[in-house]
Amino acid sequence: MTAETARQFEALEAQAARIMGVFTRAGHEAVAPAIIQPAGVFLDGIGEALRARTYVFNDPDGRELCLRPDLTVPTCRLHIERVDDPATPAKYCYNGAAFRYQPAGADAAHPREFRQAGIESIGHKDPIEAEAETLALMIEALSAAGLDRRSLHLRFGDLGLMRALLDALEMPPRWRQRLQAQFWRPPVFRAELKRLTQDPARLIKALPERLVRQLQTATPGTSETIVAAHLETEGKEPFGRRTVTEIAASVMAVIDDARAKPLAPSAANLIEAYVATSGPSRNASAKIAALANSAGIDLSAALDRFDQRLTRFTALGVNLDDASFSGEFGRSLEYYTGFVFEIGAPGQPLLNPIAGGGRYDGLMRLAGSPVDVAAVGAAIHTERALAAIEGSIT
Amino acid sequence: MSTDKLVFAVPSKGRLMEQTTQVLAEHGLTLRKTGHARGYRGAFDELPDIEVAFVSASEIAAQIKSGTVHFGVTGEDLIRETIPDADTRVEFVSKLGFGHADVVVAVPDFWIDVRTMADLDSITVPFRRQHGRSIRVATKYINVTRRFFAGSGVADYRIVESLGATEGTPASGAADLIVDITSTGETLRANALRILDDGVILRSEANVVVSNAAPWSESTTALADNIRSRFKALKS
Repeated sequence: MTAETARQFEALEAQAARIMGVFTRAGHEAVAPAIIQPAGVFLDGIGEALRARTYVFNDPDGRELCLRPDLTVPTCRLHIERVDDPATPAKYCYNGAAFRYQPAGADAAHPREFRQAGIESIGHKDPIEAEAETLALMIEALSAAGLDRRSLHLRFGDLGLMRALLDALEMPPRWRQRLQAQFWRPPVFRAELKRLTQDPARLIKALPERLVRQLQTATPGTSETIVAAHLETEGKEPFGRRTVTEIAASVMAVIDDARAKPLAPSAANLIEAYVATSGPSRNASAKIAALANSAGIDLSAALDRFDQRLTRFTALGVNLDDASFSGEFGRSLEYYTGFVFEIGAPGQPLLNPIAGGGRYDGLMRLAGSPVDVAAVGAAIHTERALAAIEGSIT
Repeated sequence: MSTDKLVFAVPSKGRLMEQTTQVLAEHGLTLRKTGHARGYRGAFDELPDIEVAFVSASEIAAQIKSGTVHFGVTGEDLIRETIPDADTRVEFVSKLGFGHADVVVAVPDFWIDVRTMADLDSITVPFRRQHGRSIRVATKYINVTRRFFAGSGVADYRIVESLGATEGTPASGAADLIVDITSTGETLRANALRILDDGVILRSEANVVVSNAAPWSESTTALADNIRSRFKALKS
C-alpha cells in the first residue's frame, strides 16, 4: 500500500510533516538512520520470530544485511555511534520505511513496506516522566494528524509488574529468570509453571546416576572437575562454543532444583491470576493489590509506580476513560522490559493498533552499548493512521 | 507445454531415479526416455498422454509448489521445507518405501544436560548471558526448523543456513547444534552428535505427490485418477 498512488504519497507526506512537527517541537531531534542494517543485531538480539519476518540478504562481500524491520534498533545504533558515552541523554524522532515479510500475505493493514513515525528517549533520568511524555506525545501527534484524541483506545501493560511479582514470590533466582524469559510464550510459560510446582528437577532422572550422586555430595567449586572427569570416562569430548563450565553449571542447576522446594501451587495460581488480569487501567492496581494481599505478598512499591504513572498521564492531558490494562499485554513484543502501550483507532481492529511503544532498557546493550541504558520509545504505523483518519472523515 | 498434457516429474539421476523407475514399474507405469538418451523427457508405455520430466530431486518440490508439474516423486522433507502449507497445496498419494531419511535435531553428545527440546529451551537463557548471542542452529531446513522449534516452545535461537557438511558446523564453531537428515545416524555419531529424545521432526521417505496449483483440465484429471488408482489398488 505504501504510496501506491501519487495521491496517497502526498497524503502520507503531509501527515508525516504534521507528526514530525509535533515531535521536533517537543525537543526530539529528527534523524534518518540507515535502511540497510547489519542483520546480526536484529537476529541475535530479537530472536528467530522476527527473523522470519525480516528481509535478510548477503551483499557481494558475503556480509549478512537486512532491511530494517523497525526503526528503534537503527536509532539506538545511531545514538551509540554519535556519542562517546551511550548513557548521554538524547531524544530522537524519525519518519521512515520499515520492512516486514507478511507470512499470511501482505494487505493494506499488513503491508510489507510501511512507514513508521516515532520517537525515542534514551538515557533519561526519570523513567515515569519519560514514559508519560512518550505516550502524551504520541497522542498529540495522532491528534495533529487528524484523529480525535477522545476517540482513541489505549491499552497498557507492565512487564515491571510481572518482574516485581516474581521477585516477591519465594523461588530460586534461576526459576525467576526462566519464567521471565518464557513469559513471551504463553504455552511454554504455563508448562514451566506446572513443572516447577510438580517436578522441578525433571531432568535428574535422565542424568547418569553415578554422576548425580557424586555431585550431590560434592564440595562447592568441584562440580566442574567432576563433570569433566565424567565426560572423559564416557569418551564424550567437549567441542564448540559451549564449555564444560557451562554444562557443569547447568547440571548443578538441575541438582539444586531437585533439592529445592517445588513452587507453591498458590504462587503458580497467583502468577496465572495476574496474567489474566484485565479491565480499566484505573482499577488495575487495586485488583492486583487484592490478588497479592490474598497471597500474602507485598507489591506496593511496583503498584505505586504504576499509579504514579497514571497520575502523570492525566497531568499531561491523557484521557484515561478508554484505557485498559492487561497483565498479558506485552507478550508478543520480546524486547520490552517495562511499561508498554498500544493506541487503537475507532473502526480499526484491536489487532491492528495505529501506534505502540514502551520501555526497552535492554535494547541499547543489544545494539552495542557496553552498559545498560534506559530507553523508551514509540512509533506510529502511518498507513494505518491515515486509513483511520480517512475512514473517520468519509 | 500444452495445458492438456499431464506432467509427471521424476528424479533425474542416481539411486533415487533407479528406485523411482522400479517402484513405478511395480505399479504398472513403465518409464522410458524419449528422444536423446541424455535428454530430460520421458514417457510411460501404459499411459502415452503423460509427459515425464526428469528433474533434480530438490527442484521437484519447487515445481510441485508452482504447479509447473502435476505429479512428482520426491521426499516429504523437501515438500515440507519448500511448501509451508503443504497439506492444503499438495496431495500425498502414496509413500514409496525408499529414500528414507529422518529430519532430526542433534546436539553435541557431551551436552549431557540436554536430552529434550525443553532442556534445549532451558539452556538458551544462560547461553545468551554467557555468550551475548542466541544459540545457533545450522540447517538447510529453515522452514521445517522454524515450525518445529516454535511448536516445541524454543524461541531464542538463530538459524544459520547450511547447504552442506552441516554435521561439521558445531565442531567448527559456525553453529551450536544442527537440524539435518539422517538415515542410519552414522554421520551424526562420527561427528559426536546425538539426536534429542523428542528431536525427530519428520520421518521422511519418497512420496508420490500431486500439485493442487497445476492447471487441471478434464483430461488431466482423468489421467490423475488413473495414476492414483494404481497406487491405491496395490496398497489395499
